[in-house]
Amino acid sequence: MHRLYRALLRLYPAEFRDEYGREMAQMVRDRIAREPRARLWIDLLRDLLRTAPKEHAHVLLNDVRYAVRLIRRAPMFTAAVVGTVALAIAANTAIFSVVNAVLLRPLPFAEPGRLIQVAEKNDALGLPNFGASVLNLLSWRERARSVDALSAIGFSSFTLSGLGEPEQLSGNRVSPSLMPLLGLAPVAGRAFTPDEERPGAPPVAMIGEGLWARRFGRDPAVVGRAVTLNGLPVTIVGVAPRALNLISGGDVYVPLTIDPSTEIRLNHVIFVAGRLKPRVTIQQAQAEFDTIAQAVAAAYPEMRDWGVHLLTFFDTFVSAQLKTGLLVLLGAVAFVLLIACANIANLLLSRSASRQKEIAVRVAMGATQSRVLRQLLVESVALSAIGGAIGIVAAVWAVRAINASLPPNLLPVPAVRVDAVVLSFAAGLTLLAGLIFGIAPACYTAKTDVHDMLKHTARPAGGGSGARVRSALAAAELALATLLLVGAGLLLESFLNLQRVRLGFEPRGLLTFQLAPPTSRYPLTDKAPGFYRALLESLRAAPGVRGAAVSSGIPFGQGNYTTSPLQASGPSALPADAAVPIDWRIVSPGYFKTMSIPLLRGRDFSDAEGAGAPAVAIVSQATARKFFGDMDPIGRSLHRAADARPFAIVGVVGDVRSTTLNQESPAIYYPLSTRAWPLMDVVVRADVPPETLLPALRQKVHEIDGELPLATVRTMDEWLSASAAQPRLSATLLGAFAAVAVLIAAIGIYGVIAYSVNQRTREIGLRMALGARPGGVMRLIVKEGMIVAAAGIGAGLAAASLLGRAIASLVYAVPVDDPPTFAGVGLLLALVAFAACAIPARRAARLDPMEALRCD
Amino acid sequence: MALPAAVLHILIALADGDSHGYAIMQEVAARTDGALRLGPGTLYGSLKRMLHDGLIEELDERQGAGRDDARRRYYRITPRGRKTARAEIARLAKLVRQARATTLAVKHS
Repeated sequence: MHRLYRALLRLYPAEFRDEYGREMAQMVRDRIAREPRARLWIDLLRDLLRTAPKEHAHVLLNDVRYAVRLIRRAPMFTAAVVGTVALAIAANTAIFSVVNAVLLRPLPFAEPGRLIQVAEKNDALGLPNFGASVLNLLSWRERARSVDALSAIGFSSFTLSGLGEPEQLSGNRVSPSLMPLLGLAPVAGRAFTPDEERPGAPPVAMIGEGLWARRFGRDPAVVGRAVTLNGLPVTIVGVAPRALNLISGGDVYVPLTIDPSTEIRLNHVIFVAGRLKPRVTIQQAQAEFDTIAQAVAAAYPEMRDWGVHLLTFFDTFVSAQLKTGLLVLLGAVAFVLLIACANIANLLLSRSASRQKEIAVRVAMGATQSRVLRQLLVESVALSAIGGAIGIVAAVWAVRAINASLPPNLLPVPAVRVDAVVLSFAAGLTLLAGLIFGIAPACYTAKTDVHDMLKHTARPAGGGSGARVRSALAAAELALATLLLVGAGLLLESFLNLQRVRLGFEPRGLLTFQLAPPTSRYPLTDKAPGFYRALLESLRAAPGVRGAAVSSGIPFGQGNYTTSPLQASGPSALPADAAVPIDWRIVSPGYFKTMSIPLLRGRDFSDAEGAGAPAVAIVSQATARKFFGDMDPIGRSLHRAADARPFAIVGVVGDVRSTTLNQESPAIYYPLSTRAWPLMDVVVRADVPPETLLPALRQKVHEIDGELPLATVRTMDEWLSASAAQPRLSATLLGAFAAVAVLIAAIGIYGVIAYSVNQRTREIGLRMALGARPGGVMRLIVKEGMIVAAAGIGAGLAAASLLGRAIASLVYAVPVDDPPTFAGVGLLLALVAFAACAIPARRAARLDPMEALRCD
Repeated sequence: MALPAAVLHILIALADGDSHGYAIMQEVAARTDGALRLGPGTLYGSLKRMLHDGLIEELDERQGAGRDDARRRYYRITPRGRKTARAEIARLAKLVRQARATTLAVKHS
């Protein structure tokens, strides 16, 4: 029993145990003899549990007090460490809060892990993830057993009128089953009922929470109100939560009605969401859908090459590129933190020399080595805690700035938040950083030999292993900085390459806006083309307007999702019956001229191509080459894979980048005169700054129809800048982190060399007294630094060539092992290192030998 | 400022003469009719802080020699310790006087 108590005494801090352990054990031995055992044990355990933590807290408090005294005594040193930690923790916390928001936080649905997207795919056409058709949705609903429900979402745009100024809104047609499927409830009113999926049901709509707040001041009385949508009366039955906005839009939702008799199986226009049954894996569901797709293809020949591809909601909404980009940035800030830690470790090491006497005194007075180690680690953690606290405050501010400045739709989440996860991460990282940069110097300092140290003549352990550790740390810093700089260089080059890309049209001086004349008043094949013809005529007459045209989807605009597989109607460069997916757009005459897209062969559309005239089309050069090789495409025909109606090619135009900057998209253009699209982009080429034209243009539109709102007014430059937002952001952030890294690493190598010069003042003085020239001394010092630098830079370049593949998906038109980038980065860092070494070297070269020799 | 109960008890136990840990514990237990038995952690934790605050002092080996158990560490109350204990006792007495004047002290019979 007595022995057990002695063992339990280990719960007290060593100091306390050493001081009183023997007495305490003795006391227990005395009490065992006189007190009943059970009661004594209860007393002892209670005493132990109450006082052991208290004694530990006392020791820790003392250490912290001591640390704070030291910190206050060395303000410059403290500022350097705290500043570095704050910078690194702020960067890590800010980037991590984005990673947390995008990759870690669950999507805002019930059991989001079971939600999937059911996409169609066509390997022959190279379409891995395509929209679904309504008829296929019905076939899946009929047969699939691995999912609870399947719901559809379709794009739609709405003109809201009858409430003052008409407004153009974007929204979705959604299956009534969608909200229960996602586990969402309406914010007010009710959701759609299953009956409302049937055609002919009374027209109802839900409005999004955003529109509810913006337009109706969150008035609950909006439920039950009648409004005019696209010219038709509709009753608002409820308010939808923000999370229902899955694809785009989010202002208005109407039920997606299904009328099988009007649908075409190849019309891939809807997004299908499903919920896996409990305990069904996505692989099992994929296997079932593969079987279903085969059965459907057997029953409907047009489905021959089509299959089904299931994706988790996470994969649907978080693109691989975004994921890579975020992880690369997270890696980059982690490197910055490591560099900062290495640098602080170096600072602490060089200070350890001056601390060693004080430590030796403490050891001589009986402090154990582990006690000293603990004290030193408390000091480094206290330093990093101060820095971390400042860093977290800075990160909160940075996240606010991120939310305010990020272009919308760049991230699949509405806002980045600093939540409990982020704060715990930041706190944990701060603690970890303090331990990382503290451990090596603490071990080194605590190991001090008391006898050596107390002898006055002893040199602080400056040379030998301490110098080696410091050099290795400086080299590691440079290696990490090299790695970051190579990454930043590659991304910057990619971004510049994207900026230099030949767009195929002239973006400057273009103003664009969207119009959606309600199809109830402007049927697409009849009144709408006439409306646009009149509108363009009137716009072209406005002062300052050089040209005006409309398109169903301008490059980099929002209408860039129309693609359909095409086949050649006659002889072709492709195997017979081969179909190729081609982007299609409906454009007005004058579109190519307005956009400055060159007409290479044939002619532009004219207003003569009305209903009844032969169907014609204009193709881009890439489309022409794909189908007809070197043959003259004019007069040949293409038809959609879904039907046999031929379109005669009357013209060939230049290729245009239209969806992403990094790829060209072959295109086909159909004339507006035969059919309009519900939502059209109007482009105006201006002779004056394009924004200034807006009031005049708005007036022209309203002269023709006072109820038509102009939506999404942008200059083409704005569209382009939004499309380059992610590469620009990655390049900017990585560049900034690399710059910080290089700066810290430069300070690191400077510190090492400056310290070494300090330590060797006597030796240098002796050399100079013996006739060494200042130039020679300088060379000696610089050489010492450059050996360290070369090792670090070399290791960094080698690591970069290994890690380059990680950012392969983010770079454009530059190989990840681009020799000029590697050489440039190596050279730049060598120059920085040289400058950092040259400063202390010059000081060494200017030493007065007599002074130096007197120095102790 | 109130003194921790254990500290006051130890000061009282030491007021009449130097003593060692186990004897202090027994003395406190006796004075409180066995209600307060200071555990080893509480006792030595308090002694440590009282030494630090100058309320008591530890006798060196020479001073301890000749006592009933020379291997034990003996403690002695300092003038500062006496002053502190007196102040605390006065504070408590005043508190009791104040409490007596209220209805709290009226016994329900």
